[in-house]
Amino acid sequence: MVFSLISTPIQTFQFKKLFSGMRFFCSMILVFVLFSCKKDNEIVPVDDWGFKKPSYFPEPHYTFENNAQTKLRFSLGRDLFYDSILSLDNSISCASCHAQTHGFSDHNVAFSAGVNGTLGVRNSPALSNLAWYPTFMWDGGIVNIETFSVGPITNPLEMHESILNVVGKLNANSAYRSKFKLAYDVDSITDQKMLQALAQYMAMLISDDSKYDKFKKGTYTFTADENAGYFLFQAKCASCHTEPLFTDFTYRNNGIDATFTDLGRGMITQNAADNGKFKVPSLRNVQLTYPYMHDGRYFTLSQVLDHYATGIQSSSTLDPSLASGIPLTADEKLKIIAFLRTLTDYTFMANPDLSEPIH
Amino acid sequence: MKTFSQYKKFSLIALAIAGLTFTSCKKEVTPEPTATTGSVSVNFEHKWVDLSANFTLNMEYIHPVTNDTLNFTTMKYYISNLKLKKADGTWWTHPESYFLVDVENVSSTKLSMSNVPVGTYTELSYTFGVDSTRNVSGAQTGALSIAKDMFWSWNSGYIFLKAEGLSANSTTGSYSFHLGGFSGANSTLSTKNVVFNSVSTDLVVSSSHESEISMLVFPDKLWNTAGSINTTNTIHMPGSGAKTMANDFVNGIEFEHVHN
Repeated sequence: MVFSLISTPIQTFQFKKLFSGMRFFCSMILVFVLFSCKKDNEIVPVDDWGFKKPSYFPEPHYTFENNAQTKLRFSLGRDLFYDSILSLDNSISCASCHAQTHGFSDHNVAFSAGVNGTLGVRNSPALSNLAWYPTFMWDGGIVNIETFSVGPITNPLEMHESILNVVGKLNANSAYRSKFKLAYDVDSITDQKMLQALAQYMAMLISDDSKYDKFKKGTYTFTADENAGYFLFQAKCASCHTEPLFTDFTYRNNGIDATFTDLGRGMITQNAADNGKFKVPSLRNVQLTYPYMHDGRYFTLSQVLDHYATGIQSSSTLDPSLASGIPLTADEKLKIIAFLRTLTDYTFMANPDLSEPIH
Repeated sequence: MKTFSQYKKFSLIALAIAGLTFTSCKKEVTPEPTATTGSVSVNFEHKWVDLSANFTLNMEYIHPVTNDTLNFTTMKYYISNLKLKKADGTWWTHPESYFLVDVENVSSTKLSMSNVPVGTYTELSYTFGVDSTRNVSGAQTGALSIAKDMFWSWNSGYIFLKAEGLSANSTTGSYSFHLGGFSGANSTLSTKNVVFNSVSTDLVVSSSHESEISMLVFPDKLWNTAGSINTTNTIHMPGSGAKTMANDFVNGIEFEHVHN
């Protein structure tokens, strides 16, 4: 997704073409009609900017209901995502553990440092295509992209801040006050608008320009190994890592432990049948988002495939599909890894519109 | 070459579009207050064990069942979705009906409804907690603002009730019960109906004054069957323990009377 933040809707109108007699007159009325009904600073999408569902993606879960998409709101959400004001001691931002260069995961560490360097207990997940997510976090405990950020902001092991304090700090900041006024037409910043602005940014973290995506769009041909890997992937991995998002959003025990120190999904449902289950992670940008698993125990894709081939540990909640592992030869593993590397989306990771804003 | 009549035609179309614009963008105008509606308040009065003792924070109480000594520092809970049943059997629904009743803040214990159509009403319906829709619909505002600190950040959903305080019977010297859960077997949501003429008169809403519905709340009911805080002094998530306490609490809420 490449879009421009500089061009305004007005600028994108081609005045030269329009400036001819009646057509100009009628067009101006059309412009007037379009703009006169706008609410909440809503920008009429006359230019190319905005949320777009890739044709081969399913319908998104988040539809910007009650939080109509605008550039101002997106841009405000981006400011917040990159601002350490959200943390207790103003030391870390969302981007500290969700770096664009790493597919919006942390910098290849198993556990991330929160305020005062306190380490978390689960691996920072890569963020992409969040508008399609029905739930968030490894255990799926959070069910809406708008309330998603409350988790990391308030977690004592992460930003360790209260929502009330964040709102207080934002309201004490005149730059934020005017940005919120412009984006949401509010004189006083509320937690609702802060969370909705963050959702505007996060929903635009769309990864849809990897080699795999180009293959889907017919603009890239897989190499022989990538192609062989794709067929192997479809046969052996895709039942959980379902295309095109590469997760089916279910919770599964993938046999990395026989006993559980982290109950995962079971902590949320309070159902022992869910103990040791974690959300199937998306594999988009997986090449760069190591280490892997909820606790970051594997540093290479080879280790991960070795685990599925020969390392499955049995337990009462082990996913039935993994009972006898996934048989893979050394050659098959290499081909699957060749395919997994086609999920790396350099456009996404270099997209200036998603990068840290320069003020 | 465009003729004058063509211009005229286009101008007419343009004018029509402009006219449409002006009419279609008209905002909903709030109707002038008329004599057809009135106000109703539902007052939640807090008592300890029976009507003789008012319940307040920072006061030592002995629990009648567990004999625990309890000194509350926090006691607040959500009441939502107020509805009134008209004499003809139809229901009037209070819009955006979410209230955080906080014992620390007296004004929050009076739930005010305005624009209630005048007439006679036979029943009140209220919900303890926050309906599942609002638990999953994104960032909310007003009583449901996350800044109210009544929302579980890591396991989405509202904390329906917070009861916290100090107790010598607790192994840690304190207790903290955060009860909630909006779905599945551990849902603590419950909707109650109050039939006015069971103990009082029907509610008559008029434009001349505010009618009142008085409810009695007994925080001691939380431990009616849950047992001593010596065993359990903390609940911070949905589950069977939360469900037991929440149900006992809600079932202990009594309707006192209607004051027309």
